Amino acid sequence: MIHATSLPNGLSVIIEEMPHVESAAYDLLIPGGLACDPESAVGSSIIFADLIGRGAGGLGSRELCEAFENDGIRHGEWVGLDRFGLSGSLIASRLPRALDLVALMVQAPSLPEEEVENIRSVLLQDLEALKDNPARRAMVELNKRYYPAPFNRSTLGDADGLRSTDRERMVALHKGAFGPRGAILSVAGNVKADAVLRDIERAFGDWQGGAAAVPAFGAISPHEYFHVESDSAQMQIVMASPSVKFGEECYYVGKLAVSILGSSMFGRLFMELREKRGLCYSVYARHGANASYGTVSAYVGTTPERAQESLDLLLGGFSSLRGSVSEAELCRAKVNLKSALVMGEESPGSRAASNVTDWWLLKRVRTLQEINEGISAVSVEGIDQFLGRHPFFPCSILTLGREPLRVPAEATSRG
Amino acid sequence: MKSKFHQHVLPNGLQLLGESNPANASAAVGFFVRTGARDERREESGVSHFLEHMLFKGTATRSAIDINLELGNLGAQANAFTSEENTVYYSAVIPENFRLMQALLSDMMRPSLDPHEFDMEKKVILEEIALYQDRPHFFLFENAFKDFFGSHPAGNSVLGSHESVSGISRDAMRSYFDRRYSPSNMVLVASGNFSWGDFVADAEQLCGGWTSFPALRDTPRHLMSPGGRTFHRRNLSHAHAVLITAGPAAQDEERYPLSLLAAVLGDSVGSKLYWALVDKGLADSASVDSDERDGTGCFSVYVSASPERLNEVVEIARKIVEKPLEFSDADLERAKAKTVSRIVLDGELPMGRLMSLGMEWTYRKTTTPLEQIISRVQGVGRADIEEALRRYPVREWADYRLLPA
Repeated sequence: MIHATSLPNGLSVIIEEMPHVESAAYDLLIPGGLACDPESAVGSSIIFADLIGRGAGGLGSRELCEAFENDGIRHGEWVGLDRFGLSGSLIASRLPRALDLVALMVQAPSLPEEEVENIRSVLLQDLEALKDNPARRAMVELNKRYYPAPFNRSTLGDADGLRSTDRERMVALHKGAFGPRGAILSVAGNVKADAVLRDIERAFGDWQGGAAAVPAFGAISPHEYFHVESDSAQMQIVMASPSVKFGEECYYVGKLAVSILGSSMFGRLFMELREKRGLCYSVYARHGANASYGTVSAYVGTTPERAQESLDLLLGGFSSLRGSVSEAELCRAKVNLKSALVMGEESPGSRAASNVTDWWLLKRVRTLQEINEGISAVSVEGIDQFLGRHPFFPCSILTLGREPLRVPAEATSRG
Repeated sequence: MKSKFHQHVLPNGLQLLGESNPANASAAVGFFVRTGARDERREESGVSHFLEHMLFKGTATRSAIDINLELGNLGAQANAFTSEENTVYYSAVIPENFRLMQALLSDMMRPSLDPHEFDMEKKVILEEIALYQDRPHFFLFENAFKDFFGSHPAGNSVLGSHESVSGISRDAMRSYFDRRYSPSNMVLVASGNFSWGDFVADAEQLCGGWTSFPALRDTPRHLMSPGGRTFHRRNLSHAHAVLITAGPAAQDEERYPLSLLAAVLGDSVGSKLYWALVDKGLADSASVDSDERDGTGCFSVYVSASPERLNEVVEIARKIVEKPLEFSDADLERAKAKTVSRIVLDGELPMGRLMSLGMEWTYRKTTTPLEQIISRVQGVGRADIEEALRRYPVREWADYRLLPA
């Protein structure tokens, strides 16, 4: 049972009662984030997301941390391109305590100067450590080139921005647009909606402000092939191409089409590259989408001498999909998507996250039945029509490894 | 709805375990085979993990593609892993597909080891080895544990090397299978929304014909000696260190107090190392782990930091863990609250319970309801940690570092 309401200060609240579990989870999304950081201080919001956990409402950094731990509350604060997130999971009886602590972090963070320095130091180390992680680095490098600014920023920040930001910016960030307007708090688990709502009103009722202006999403850069040199054992190959947004009519069509190709269990790429040819350990394609844009991305990691064949097969998989999907493939993709949905129903963490994301993107929560019907309605003809309207090519391709590969011109250009 | 425990042994020695709960939306099933890198002969290094892959590559009645497509058709969340001492095959499905999933997984446990698939999968394994070569943290752990355990098999490499895996023949894999995959050396576990009666009847029909044979393992305790090594790698941006000493085995009573001590000293957040190193920005990662193995164990401290700071970071970490009793009662209570919360949250999902039931049986031939595990954790006091430290003093370390060349 899902209850949705909003407080007078603009905070949207969604509560799902799950009487068959013992735990509960919360997810709070607040507009803002990396895309809103000024050009000269990219990464300020990464420091800020960490900093709100380092002391609030008269509790020092350590006291706040210990307050969560005393009740065994697992929590995390993070930042994305267009939102901040605070989430946690806990034994359901501890929820009122958790909500009080979250309310302190968002309303009265102390933002201590010395903690800014400490967080900066760790983030700069993380940025260095990215060089030792070729698969992640390849994705960061591709995003940087593929998405329009400022949506091409890495959630690791950039070294200059991290170095130049300061406490003043943190204070401005908090005073500026960090508030309940546009924010959504989702709770799921073994709770009673009326009691949770009272706890939320008590904890968040006085919170004011908000609705950060997130820049509009621009046009995707012209597609290209990029190569980044790296002396690693494997060659990383990543690609990206635009697709439908979340909630668009063809959303499930796109998702199913990409899963037929890219599922890491039964997808065509897995079968062709790994199962039939033994070219790689990891290969997949995914469909990601939010309110402003959708993306088809694909990955394969393989040793240099087998990289060209892998890339050719990856591109071949994409170009041959239209007109070749069988009923059996579509049926399998549907069963998997539906099965994952049912299994997600058992976990308060996944329910809270799914509800908050729906509200964020659609201003409502989709019912299981609605999603099931949306998936069921997809046909093979629908997939072919979709691929006609949303071809994978041209796409952007990036390789990270010793030598560049040969990329056919038609893969990256409109010609 | 309360969950119910069940157990049964087939005449061939296959142990069946279950915890059923009709309120769950899914059901999980898995085979836990008591075999892994430590059970390999030197020339077979990597065969346990390679064999784990081959179980997905065909049986007498199913081809590799059949298996993948069937997993897809069942909407299964299925996977497998191999460690130094266990190989586990597991899956979660919606309840109406449970019996089909049990049948598929059972069939997979009798692989055909098709020669063409064998050659193809060897290439996949070699790619997996290359993938891990690009992960410095993994490189350090593999080499540090190998050196720490010396001639004791607990330090054997799970993946094996490019050379060892290249040299494994199909016959060698078959002979390893015939030595280790006895029904008496595995446990078949189910949890969640499934019928125990059907589960046992199906297991009898699907697995009852498997021939049993002794699959033994020596479990000597490893006698550690302090020491260590420094490894160097080109193009490395970050430095890593791991300090290792003797710790409790999976069968030792000391595992409860020492895993709580590990949380007090080195949980990823809110621990002593966290406040001294990560909160202050000196290290980007610091943790303490009690790694309990079959008949032996180790207690380790891991840190990563910029190369120029690594010495300082290791010294601070050492000073903290070498005074393990300098914690407050509140520190211990917090570690317990975190542990209990984790047990409850993990235990809520059939897949989480499956892992905990299977591992507990594999190591201790017993099952413990969640409430009892929780009260064991809650009952640990300072005196228990003092007592455990008399046996495992966590004072003498083997010190391993990975630095840029």
